Amino acid sequence: MSPEDIPVIPRGVRLHEDRVRGSWVLLAPERAIRLDPIGHAILSEIDGSRSFGAITAGLAAKYNAPEEQIAKDAGEFIEGLMNRRILEVA
Amino acid sequence: MAWSKPVLREIECE
Repeated sequence: MSPEDIPVIPRGVRLHEDRVRGSWVLLAPERAIRLDPIGHAILSEIDGSRSFGAITAGLAAKYNAPEEQIAKDAGEFIEGLMNRRILEVA
Repeated sequence: MAWSKPVLREIECE
């Protein structure tokens, strides 16, 4: 992921709150991903218009953590979802 | 909550 990339949650994919288990699930056609709180925080920042750089800067401020670390972890997370065809990059 | 490496867990079926 480069800072200019804009991650997009495509049509047909959505976040679902599993209130029974107290966690969030990313629902895609015929598959689902259970999210930990950090994964949910990353996906909550994706609105289809903000760049990856803006998202990681926001998360770095929110978690008071090094932006390089967040960019690495969030980039691998998003790429994992792209490889599963659950996320796209505009 | 502190930052930690996010984990993807695919749900097999639940």
